[in-house]
Amino acid sequence: MSPVEVLLLLALAAFFAGLGGSYLGIGGGVFLVPFMTLVLAVDIKRAIATSLIGVIATSSGAASVYVRDHLTNLRLAMFLEVATTIGAITGALVALLVPAVFLYVTFGAVVLYAAATMVRVRETAKERSYRGGEEEPPLVKRLSLNSVYFDQEDQAVYRYRVDRPGAGFGVSAAAGLFSGLLGVGGGFIKVPAMNILMRVPMKAAVATSNFMIGVTAAASAFIYYSQGLVDPSLAAMVIIGVFTGTNLGTRLLVRAKAANVRFVFAIFLAALGIAMAVRALGFSGVV
Amino acid sequence: MIAARAGIRLVQDRIAALRRAVVGEVEDTNRLIYHVLRGGVLVSVAVLLFGFILVGAKSAALPDHSVPPRSLIPQLVQFTPAGFLSLGVLVLIATPMVRVLLSLLSFAEDGDRTYVLMTGIVLVNLLISVFLLA
Repeated sequence: MSPVEVLLLLALAAFFAGLGGSYLGIGGGVFLVPFMTLVLAVDIKRAIATSLIGVIATSSGAASVYVRDHLTNLRLAMFLEVATTIGAITGALVALLVPAVFLYVTFGAVVLYAAATMVRVRETAKERSYRGGEEEPPLVKRLSLNSVYFDQEDQAVYRYRVDRPGAGFGVSAAAGLFSGLLGVGGGFIKVPAMNILMRVPMKAAVATSNFMIGVTAAASAFIYYSQGLVDPSLAAMVIIGVFTGTNLGTRLLVRAKAANVRFVFAIFLAALGIAMAVRALGFSGVV
Repeated sequence: MIAARAGIRLVQDRIAALRRAVVGEVEDTNRLIYHVLRGGVLVSVAVLLFGFILVGAKSAALPDHSVPPRSLIPQLVQFTPAGFLSLGVLVLIATPMVRVLLSLLSFAEDGDRTYVLMTGIVLVNLLISVFLLA
């Protein structure tokens, strides 16, 4: 492949990463890193660095719209970002030290996990709406994490309360670690955690996760940048592709049902995860 | 004379109205964050496109190494493609950081100490990442 062909293919992939990413509340990195390493033969650490840049672009592009439309829980995001940024810096430092084969194996496993969660998670906005009468956790009260959001689908305002802030904080730290280590946004960890564990409605969880992903990726992106691992041409194409994709993706989320896209995306991810694992085995001389 | 004064008065009123509109918008944190995130991405994309135009105009090779922050300005002065592509990437990385800073100011304005502390920790984390290996 000529350099120009590589760049055009990458822009196309980034377009789909931005489209799917903004739609599903993930950064799109779970898709970009395997694509760059397997199809475009980019070195995995450079692929991770480039993917992080794409994750920031997805997050900023999509989050801006969700914040404007009052889908995002800004307080919850701020609280969990304390955990994700610490995780991300740790992850990036680990990634710089470990051999590439470790990153391939971890990535393969994480992507397969992501595919599995994506099939399992359902739209649960209505089931997860406000339940009064129970005592709220003291931390939730102190941080006033409970919130409301407006659902365009049925033109209604949903009030919800947040459960298990401590567990959510821990999961977010892990999501941040994977973000810095593997160049992903970590939305596939945070969205189900917020939805199932903390009982945040799906759309608010997607919007809040998207919002946090940008800051999380920025924390590790600069570490990769300062190590000279960011290829500016690749990164530029990713930003431009993602920018176009998110513009379309955010328009889709406000109305549509994500179930079908989610299923296609999950199958796609499973294939990529297996391919990454095969590549890792090839590296260590087993295949 | 009176007409001139009335004219000045009209301009002053107009400026005051504009200022109120801007301040009114800024008071809504959500709107402000929207504009910062969106604006950051737009500026980044514009700078990157300019970088690619430079690649074409100078028929230079596509740069595959980013410019370290401290040698960015000389590269920009010389209009190198690597300089502008790196600047575009750095603008994008800085966008969420600026957003956190604005959140901090907005929580401070509300006198919300808990959230000032929390946002402060996030900001310190981001600064650590910037200065850790630089």
